[in-house]
Amino acid sequence: MFGPLFGSLAEVLQPQYLTPLAIGTLAGLIGGALPGVTITMTIIIVLPFTFGLDPLAGLATMIGVYVGGESGGLVTASLLGIPGTPSAVATTFDGYPMSKKGEPGRAVWLGTWASLFGGLLGAVFLILMTVPLAKFALQFGPWEYFALFVFSLSMVAGLTEHSLLKGFLSGAIGLVITVIGTDPIMAIPRFTFGTEFLHAGFQFLPVLIGIFAFAQIMTDLEKMAGGRALDIIATPNLDVSHLAVVWEILRRPFLLLWSTVIGVWIGVLPAIGGSAANVMAYDQAKKFSKHPEKFGTGIPEGIIAAEASNNANVAGSLVTIMAFGIPGDAVTAVMLGALIIHGIQPGPLFMTQQPRIAYGIFAAYLLAHPVMMVLQWLLARVYLKIVRVPKSILIPNILVLCVVGAYALNNVMANVYALLLFGVLGYLLVKFGFPLAPLILGVILGDQIEVNLVRALMTDSDPWLFVTRPIAGAMLGLSVASVVLALWQHRRQYRRGVAAPAEGDTDF
Amino acid sequence: MITRDGVAGLVCLAGSLLLLWMSRGLPQPALVPIGPAYYPRLLLAVTAVLSAALLAFDLWRRERGPGPPAVNYRLVLLAFAIFTAYVFLLPALGYRVGTLLFVGVLQATLEPPRGARGWALVAAVALGTMLATYYVFEGYLNVLLPRGRLTGF
Repeated sequence: MFGPLFGSLAEVLQPQYLTPLAIGTLAGLIGGALPGVTITMTIIIVLPFTFGLDPLAGLATMIGVYVGGESGGLVTASLLGIPGTPSAVATTFDGYPMSKKGEPGRAVWLGTWASLFGGLLGAVFLILMTVPLAKFALQFGPWEYFALFVFSLSMVAGLTEHSLLKGFLSGAIGLVITVIGTDPIMAIPRFTFGTEFLHAGFQFLPVLIGIFAFAQIMTDLEKMAGGRALDIIATPNLDVSHLAVVWEILRRPFLLLWSTVIGVWIGVLPAIGGSAANVMAYDQAKKFSKHPEKFGTGIPEGIIAAEASNNANVAGSLVTIMAFGIPGDAVTAVMLGALIIHGIQPGPLFMTQQPRIAYGIFAAYLLAHPVMMVLQWLLARVYLKIVRVPKSILIPNILVLCVVGAYALNNVMANVYALLLFGVLGYLLVKFGFPLAPLILGVILGDQIEVNLVRALMTDSDPWLFVTRPIAGAMLGLSVASVVLALWQHRRQYRRGVAAPAEGDTDF
Repeated sequence: MITRDGVAGLVCLAGSLLLLWMSRGLPQPALVPIGPAYYPRLLLAVTAVLSAALLAFDLWRRERGPGPPAVNYRLVLLAFAIFTAYVFLLPALGYRVGTLLFVGVLQATLEPPRGARGWALVAAVALGTMLATYYVFEGYLNVLLPRGRLTGF
């Protein structure tokens, strides 16, 4: 294991891989720092630039964006009190008060160093666990895969914050999108309405780009007044004693380790991203603390927990995509699409069939962290200025890159029309209060769910095999349990009146 | 009174029933037991049940929430209209002309320029975006961007 890893580290250190990794990390830091531009959005913007690259260079770029984005969000969270990305929400709770107390450098660097340690500890899990989990997944037949995909979908839909029913319906809409076009088993066209446009179905990247980019941009436009940028506090002083900051983190080993474990675990669970890890780790740090009342006043524990967890989350997401071929969140969903464009199918055979790419991902993830540290140290002040770019300039540029990204997939306009179509659909779904994560997972897993269901039933028509085969049965049991648990939680919150329904929605 | 949950349920129910009806036309192969209609029918039946449940919960719900907050849709509608025009004019105008116009028009719509300096900034950003993306994608990343039927480039 370590031989190929060291070989890949040496390979990724070559300029043709290190340069895209550094550019991706810088893009991630800037995108993460820009409030309203998520990591998903940043990776969508960067995606078309990776099409012409070697697969490993393209993936190194995206891993750089992912790692950089998780760390970039903490800058605006700490200095402005506005999380640059959703995965930096909990960082604001203590980062901003610490900055207001006159210690902006300590706040930013505590978060940055905690990101480094959390990310590197997460890398240990990534490197040690991917191969055993992939070997476990090799035992899977179509029954187990079908059950695994159903479990992923049910869990994501069940975690929907406001309306459980809408979560499931959103996942079902995602699955319905995949039945349009040619059937994956017999290549018979379905639901094409007689048009050539729908004959091949929809590629999932234009669908994903359309849904995420438009849902976010158009929601931003609703609140936009004059396209003005944020008023940033006058160039803050980020000077700090790095040794003191590192010691502040390392003398809290339990906090660092527990936050990392939470981050990795949340990352492994399909389609739950760094935002959940960030908030959950903060909450756990507060519960385990001897002085929970001090949380929210600018204490280091809050920043360390929040930032270590969101970077460790990246490692967990990468494990899921590499071992099972299931995206851990929206960012890895885009990476999955990029891998497929290059003819690489992640899953249990990925480690054995594509060892160069697989170990290259480990190496890129490991190296992205020191690269992120160097860039943060050199350029934090510079990219704080970029955050001032008005949205009236940013939005047209993002939309142009979305168009190029969709068009460049096959050099056909049909993908751009699909981008527009799903942009409208994504915005409407947000306006009607539907969560987007189950829909995206449905679009990604739809074909595989169908293929495995049909394969299983063609191999043996006994449907009870889905329940009686131990792994498949256990996963379907977990699916039912996750739905029951979600129902119970929603009912409990409803009775307590804790969860105010979002914008008049039901909270069933 | 029906709210947006009910409307969403109704639209999804109508869509799933339409597709279920359309699935009748899908062929059933003679040699294999499961045809191309099997999975879509199963899925659409589940979608229809979920949609009907959303509609039913909305109709029977006694408590009503405060309703969605008032938002300004003017910019959203304008942005969608400009983007739609860009997408459909792209094959006719080509990437370079289309993108130059799109970036300029959308930027001016989102933040109307003030004076000659404002317009110069709009023009510079539009030109810069078009040139930078064109040369990066065509020159370095081997992505052939659309040529215009009317413009010839």
